[in-house]
Amino acid sequence: MNFVLAVTAQLAVYLIITISLNIEYGYAGIPHFGKVLAVAGGAFLAGFLPGRVGILLLKLFPHGDIVNIVCGQEEAGSLKILTSLDEALGQYIPCNNAVIDWLGGVIASNIGFALLLIIITLVSSGLLGGFLGFITSYPGIRLRGDYLAMVLLAMGEMLRIIGLNYEPLVGGTLGISVPNLYAWAGGELRFVVATVFIILIAAGVYFYAELLVRSPLGRLLRAMRDNEVTAESLGKDVAGLRMRTLVVGSAIASLGGTLYALYTGGVIATTYSRVSWTFWPWVMVILGGTANNVGTLAGTSAFVVFRQLIIFYKDRLAGFVPFNIVWLDTLILGAVLLVILLQRPEGIIPEKPTFTLRREKLLSIIGGDVKKGVGKEEDS
Amino acid sequence: MPLVDPLVRDVVVYSSILVMLSTGLTLTYMTTKVPNFSHGGFATIGIYVTLTIGMLFRLNPYLSAPLSFLISGLVALSMYLGILHPLSRRGASYLQLMIATIAFEFLIFSIINIYADYLTENFGRLVEQARAVFLRKIDYRIDFSPLASALGLGEVRGLDEPAMFFIAPITMISSIVALHTLLTRTKFGTGMRAAIENPPLAEVVGINVRLAYAISWFISGGLAGVAGSYMPLWFLTGPETGSQILVSIFAASIVGGFQNLYGALLGGLVIGAAEILGTAELATALGPWIIPYRPVIPLVAMSITLLFAPQGITGISWPSLSRVKTSGATD
Repeated sequence: MNFVLAVTAQLAVYLIITISLNIEYGYAGIPHFGKVLAVAGGAFLAGFLPGRVGILLLKLFPHGDIVNIVCGQEEAGSLKILTSLDEALGQYIPCNNAVIDWLGGVIASNIGFALLLIIITLVSSGLLGGFLGFITSYPGIRLRGDYLAMVLLAMGEMLRIIGLNYEPLVGGTLGISVPNLYAWAGGELRFVVATVFIILIAAGVYFYAELLVRSPLGRLLRAMRDNEVTAESLGKDVAGLRMRTLVVGSAIASLGGTLYALYTGGVIATTYSRVSWTFWPWVMVILGGTANNVGTLAGTSAFVVFRQLIIFYKDRLAGFVPFNIVWLDTLILGAVLLVILLQRPEGIIPEKPTFTLRREKLLSIIGGDVKKGVGKEEDS
Repeated sequence: MPLVDPLVRDVVVYSSILVMLSTGLTLTYMTTKVPNFSHGGFATIGIYVTLTIGMLFRLNPYLSAPLSFLISGLVALSMYLGILHPLSRRGASYLQLMIATIAFEFLIFSIINIYADYLTENFGRLVEQARAVFLRKIDYRIDFSPLASALGLGEVRGLDEPAMFFIAPITMISSIVALHTLLTRTKFGTGMRAAIENPPLAEVVGINVRLAYAISWFISGGLAGVAGSYMPLWFLTGPETGSQILVSIFAASIVGGFQNLYGALLGGLVIGAAEILGTAELATALGPWIIPYRPVIPLVAMSITLLFAPQGITGISWPSLSRVKTSGATD
């Protein structure tokens, strides 16, 4: 059961990220090799924001609970007792675990407070993701795709370096605990609630992507991907369009990162590496078939389940593999990507041709009559 | 008192290594038109060749340079012939080629890691650290005190310098000169330049474009291997070094303009100096907390170049700086 839950949650988180990558790469043709940046941004935000905002909110709206946070150990001589919210805020990083535990207690008894915090966190995560998408793509947005790819890849590293070295953000190398915003569900049930919540958001993102690619904007994205010059000659602002795509894509990916951090209950900067959050999503999208949301779903499911199985049967596999199983992961990543590129570049489920509008619909748009079968053009 | 300021040494060695890397990256970008994301991986191979030669076999660590040239060159060649060439013949876009190089980087990365584990397990006592390779202790030192006494300066102590301080820049300069000679003085080099300028036309006049490109990949990988083989003799390296230094290599190549090898030379020197001196200056000005943020420097250099002079320093028309060119890379 726990295994199924873990796989489902991870699948949903990765689905959010791969769908956003599919919009960026599959439909708009932008090689976003810095996916990890937005994901890490969202996760770091989950470590940085909700706890502090929660304490501030409790300050603004006085609450019945007595503040009594015991932090550190008596034997070690580092015992501290925090008795006010100001102290809790000041000692947020050094006494992180204790403060988060106490906050979890408050959240457990107050579902409205928890929901408010979740909404605040997710909204600011989306805004932060969009902002990150904007600033990281700005230097390269007008250049050809390979330059943009190099810039995005280089930018992707930055947030991890900051997260590792700037302690107030996510506690540096030690990491930080994230307030248990699902504490009201109680005990093990919180994981179920968290998973359902991620699935709901993933479904929303999927639905949004489906609507997007069927809209005129979706067709425009594909036009830009297939022939930038033509799109430009028809008066479309290619750089602006790319920028908007990256902003939306990064906002979605940031949501994924936030939800993942809220689910696991902790953030540590080293987790947000280029391999896990840039290249794994890339393999999933390419395996499933680009520019195809069903394909992305298939690719993501196949890969997440496969990886989790490797991790689950690690001990049993160890006998058959003459090296540490960790490297099997990256070895498979590389090999699978190459095989797909060489043997089946369109992926498991290839892109479908765009459906044109039905004749009746077309005629109604240009103002013609279905029965006559000719438009106004003839009259004028 | 050391003869040379340690900071200057750092700049010289690091810039030389960076130049060898960015020259190779620029060369393959010029021929195949794909930024090679596995370039750092080729350098990592060099690191482990040096570890094997220097620690496992206890040989002269500089023997690793030619061997690394060969191994990394062959790995790069096999990537071109086995993956990139078939892909581009099938009409794959440059996006797919980029992804292929990333995939290849992961093959290299995992194999290097498996090898490092293997070394630790079986020869742990000999190689000491296979995941944090730092071999400055087995580098030779060149002693200058006989020279000083010959010049009549008397007995001066501590006048020895690490050999790398001389070998890295010498290798860098000679490889640039060799490349220059190859490209401008030989028939093959002329053919290669033609293949870069206009592949179909070059093919029409009987130049083997595929061979020219394959050689460019071999040289590129080889140079990366040599650069990598020098790294552990100067700074702390490991399996991740390749992917970490990739940002600096890209920055050096982009600052150099990605269009000619001399640009890559300049870019490597600029980024190398900026990284070392910039970090040192900032650390004295703001405090040592700034040191871990060193990777931000190449990134900033890269961003500024792309914003204001996307053709790099060699693309700027210096006489009329008032009108900085912005075309070229923007197509």
